[in-house]
Amino acid sequence: MDEIIKLEEVWKIYNEGEENQVIALKNINLHVKRGDFIAVMGPSGSGKSTGMNLIGSLDIPSHGKIFLDQHNISHLSESDLAQVRGKKIGFIFQQFNLIPNLTAKENVMLPMIFQEMDEIERIIKAESLLKMMELGDRMDHYPSELSGGQQQRVAIARALANDPEVILADEPTGNLDTHTGEVVMKFLNKLNNEGKTIIIVTHDPDLALEHSKKIYWIKDGQIERVTEKIKGKWKTLKKVPNE
Amino acid sequence: MISKEVMKYSLENLKKKKMRSLLTIISIFIGIATIFIFVSFGLGLYSYINSFVTGTSADKIIIQPKGMSAPGLDAGFALTEKDLTAIERTSGVQAATGIYMKVVQVEYKNTNKYVFVGGFDPRSNLMEELSGLKIYSGRQLQSNEKGDVVLGYNYMTDNKIFPNGVSLNEEIKINGEKAKVIGFYQPVGNPQDDSNVYMTDDFFRELYPNSTGYSEIIASVDTSNIPQVVQNVEKSLLKSRNLAKGQEDFFVASFEDLLKTYASALDIVVGFIILIALISVLVSAINTSNTMITSVIERTREIGVLKSIGARNSEIFTLFLFESSALGMIAGTIGVLIGFALTELAKAILMNLGLGFLQPNYSFWLFAGCILFATMTGAVSGVIPAIHASKISPVRALRYE
Repeated sequence: MDEIIKLEEVWKIYNEGEENQVIALKNINLHVKRGDFIAVMGPSGSGKSTGMNLIGSLDIPSHGKIFLDQHNISHLSESDLAQVRGKKIGFIFQQFNLIPNLTAKENVMLPMIFQEMDEIERIIKAESLLKMMELGDRMDHYPSELSGGQQQRVAIARALANDPEVILADEPTGNLDTHTGEVVMKFLNKLNNEGKTIIIVTHDPDLALEHSKKIYWIKDGQIERVTEKIKGKWKTLKKVPNE
Repeated sequence: MISKEVMKYSLENLKKKKMRSLLTIISIFIGIATIFIFVSFGLGLYSYINSFVTGTSADKIIIQPKGMSAPGLDAGFALTEKDLTAIERTSGVQAATGIYMKVVQVEYKNTNKYVFVGGFDPRSNLMEELSGLKIYSGRQLQSNEKGDVVLGYNYMTDNKIFPNGVSLNEEIKINGEKAKVIGFYQPVGNPQDDSNVYMTDDFFRELYPNSTGYSEIIASVDTSNIPQVVQNVEKSLLKSRNLAKGQEDFFVASFEDLLKTYASALDIVVGFIILIALISVLVSAINTSNTMITSVIERTREIGVLKSIGARNSEIFTLFLFESSALGMIAGTIGVLIGFALTELAKAILMNLGLGFLQPNYSFWLFAGCILFATMTGAVSGVIPAIHASKISPVRALRYE
């Protein structure tokens, strides 16, 4: 099986061994196939954000192993993690998180700088990505001159800058109205159809049910159940009993 | 990794916080401008002093009675013809001449002024060589000439000494006696020498028959061992004045010694001012650090975003270091420009006051050095904030509101 992400017995414990110890993730096992579209659902504080940070190589687990494209990233240094996420992961945030002092094009070029790509290459790539996001006429606009939906599309273009294997989207439509949210989701679906692995974290069950292929339901730091869309119908694959 | 986009990102951040950047820049450039001004004047004074060391003054020694505040002010005691002869005969001395000095009343067109009058023997050019006096207009005094004077440069100018400038061949009155102005000296650059009246020793003795002797003796000496000659002169003067060692009522100084005294006094003054300026730069460095720390905290979330799109810690560090260095460089450039403008202004004012010897001396290295120093100050101030920024955890930074 072509696995892009694998979590093996992953724990994340804050302040481990101290009085105020918090267990954010308990013994998580998870496999993501290349080209999948995963939704992670769960209430606030369930540990889904912590999980996203680990998969996005923004953080390392307290225990267990994480494989990204067959490479164990559980013990990498900060600098190596930065390189891994720069190359393999594209982030999309609820707040868009564009750099306000840079134009749309410059924002898209930024991740390529950190991978030391040539300037000409950067420009060509950024322009083609923005055109793909139907923002060809907004390339030299600053984020403040763009609508929320446009900003999020710039953010998607930025996430795609280094041809990542995985797109991690944290509540990508959370700050958008229903219609623009749909437009953004349409682009994510399109990317998925082109072979990108997409993982979204969301509160919104309709969004998860409509767009994703597989849903992980997280509760209290554990995977409560996994449901998968098979031939258009949702089926529960597995239930994790509470310990 | 400093790419165009990253430079733009940093500079735009400085621009966005205009007031804060401006205040930080001001705090740095005050110190830098101060350093620039005082170093340029300091260098000017050093080269002024050096011009004497290498010039016609270098082989001179000066002998003056002790206890005199300035030549000509003390009427009690002076050097005699006998002393002059003794000095002339000392080994290592090539020539010597005595100078009369006196503060006298000079009248021109019904205005009276008290000025210094110097009487010298025109056959010897030691005094002109020592003070760097050169004829500007008219002619030099000749031996035995009486009734004629040569004036310092300032007499030519209106409102410097007299309300109206004096012209060639006009008459002035010295102690009621008429004297014809036959020449003017070029400006020497210090207000004292440029305000003197010069006459022959013969004319001086005629005007002041009760004068007890010379106010100073100038000698030119063998330059191979000036300190030895100074000792020899002291010995022969003690002998000619019938004094035991330790009873010297005169002092002998080589011009070199005098210059060294001035130079070391100058070292202290310039050094002290630069020290104060450096303290002000240090304070501004702390201020810059504070600015940068604030800027890092404000941009915590942005730092998180940059890290999430692949920025390494080292790249975040470089970015903030670049920003504070840019602040320093901008401040340095402004500081140097303001320093230069103020120095030029001061130069013009000093020139006007007759203090032409106080000239700044610029070099490429002074400009480059000041800007570089300011840039370094900015960079050093940025180190701690930049380390702080680079160590921010991306997970926490992204959650930061």
